[in-house]
Amino acid sequence: MNGVGRTHPLLRFAAWAVALPVAVLFLYPYWWMMVSALRSTREIMSAPLRLLPERLDLSIFSEISRIGGVELWRYALNSVAITGASTVVGVVVTALGAYALVRKPKLPGFAVLRWGFLVAIMYPYMLLVIPVYLVMYRLGLLGSYSGIVLFLALGPIQFFLFEQFFRAIPKEVIEAAVIDGASEAQILFRIVLPMAAPVTATVALITFLINWAQWFPVMLISTTPDTYTLPVALLSMNGELGANFQGIMALAVLVTLPIAVLFLLAQKRVMAGMAAGAVKG
Amino acid sequence: MSAALGEIWRNRIFYLFALPFAVLTILFGVWPIVLSIEVSFTASATALKPSPTWVGWANYATVLADPLFVASLGRTLVYTVLSVVANVGVALGLAVLFDSTLLKRGNLFFRLAVFLPVVTPDVAGYVVWRWLYDRSFGAFNAALAGLGLPAFTGLSSPDTATLSLLLAELWHHTGFYMIIFLANLAIRDRALEEAAVIDGADAWQRWRWVILPQIRPALIINTVYALIQFLKTFTVVVVMTKGGPNDATNFVSYYAWQLFDQGRYGEATAMATVLFGLVVVLSLGVFVFGDREAAR
Repeated sequence: MNGVGRTHPLLRFAAWAVALPVAVLFLYPYWWMMVSALRSTREIMSAPLRLLPERLDLSIFSEISRIGGVELWRYALNSVAITGASTVVGVVVTALGAYALVRKPKLPGFAVLRWGFLVAIMYPYMLLVIPVYLVMYRLGLLGSYSGIVLFLALGPIQFFLFEQFFRAIPKEVIEAAVIDGASEAQILFRIVLPMAAPVTATVALITFLINWAQWFPVMLISTTPDTYTLPVALLSMNGELGANFQGIMALAVLVTLPIAVLFLLAQKRVMAGMAAGAVKG
Repeated sequence: MSAALGEIWRNRIFYLFALPFAVLTILFGVWPIVLSIEVSFTASATALKPSPTWVGWANYATVLADPLFVASLGRTLVYTVLSVVANVGVALGLAVLFDSTLLKRGNLFFRLAVFLPVVTPDVAGYVVWRWLYDRSFGAFNAALAGLGLPAFTGLSSPDTATLSLLLAELWHHTGFYMIIFLANLAIRDRALEEAAVIDGADAWQRWRWVILPQIRPALIINTVYALIQFLKTFTVVVVMTKGGPNDATNFVSYYAWQLFDQGRYGEATAMATVLFGLVVVLSLGVFVFGDREAAR
């Protein structure tokens, strides 16, 4: 690995001298958030930089057990349910769709479908969500969980990851199965999908991470706070006058911590998947 | 005709596979865009009615004559250029550093530290940053005061609000561009660098003439992604400034959303179409420019 140049100790020191402060700057907001969640507003105002809380007091979580007239656990449950359901729907629908488009790109309508999808993901997301409100209104899906879940199901990275994977399957594998008399359903379920298990896991993971963070479509399609997820609850709490600073930090911890843990457990897969999904074939 | 129908029938199972994907793409991708363009040609008050009043290009004329929109567009473009340069530049610098062998085993830790904000829900990240900048709670000014430096006005002054958003967004996004650079750096041909060493090239020459040309694909992709990303800057504005102070951070996405919220659907969707056109033109421009540069 050290074929090019010899690493000078001074150079190595300089590299650490840059990298370490960078890492501290990137991680400090997390630390500050967690410490602030455990300190009263008065304590924070008197010493904003304190690195450890004065005492371990978790009572803030019972203080924010109701936000905007809805129980905190309901937001949490909504987050898990909406994120989980949209991930399952998204993975199944995208896998089947990408497979069909890759296997038979020349079938009438398939090229148009692919282009329609590409244009839709080029459209500035926030501005797509606005007319989606009109669509949901016409479909009678405003305020429904299914409206939120269906809208969150599709995404560009997911599609590109599946497309890349299916394209890379050697034609001979499929042709051999066709010669053996396998039906298309058998080819898909017995040969292709078992091969696709790793990419499916990656797509599911990335979809979960992305959809957990979604707030604008959830807020827009919702008609009452009953279908809000944790990030939307956090946003509305942050927008209140005379904001409860400690409560906001505690809720931010709840929004961030599960996803940070999930990411750290699967970091390799997530980073490789995101890089590959972004650099489409 | 019947030949085409026959082909469709023979491949009906593939249409079955593609059907759910097609339904979702049409309902929540194509239809909203068509609807948005349609609404942009109607009078706002009638936009949601079954038979809207068509007003031709009137909404576009209104929007383009609106000094607030023109100012907002200029602001968005300036912010986009600054953000693209800052994010791609920092990402490239960090990727090169973390790709080198100088840090040894620290590499993974540093990559994780910079990438973690990418998967952190943006609302949570920006909420924390908003309070970090706060004059009475924030760690930012407390740290500056501790060092004996003057206070940073952060989100409360029009002069520093844009910079404050830029820094928060840099924290959230740059890790994404970094891993694309890292992926590209990992597949480069290292033998070329060894050859350059033998030819007597110094570190800068190797970087400029051997490594940089090889990571051009990542550079182009990152620039396009960042352009699309920052042209539509929205969440950070909603969380941190609501377009203020003094409209200093009122970018096009946010302005369009405000109009939509006030029921001015026609103008809001006209703005959306203008921004979409801008995104397409600029992205294609970067691709074409990148290709021509590569062909030289």
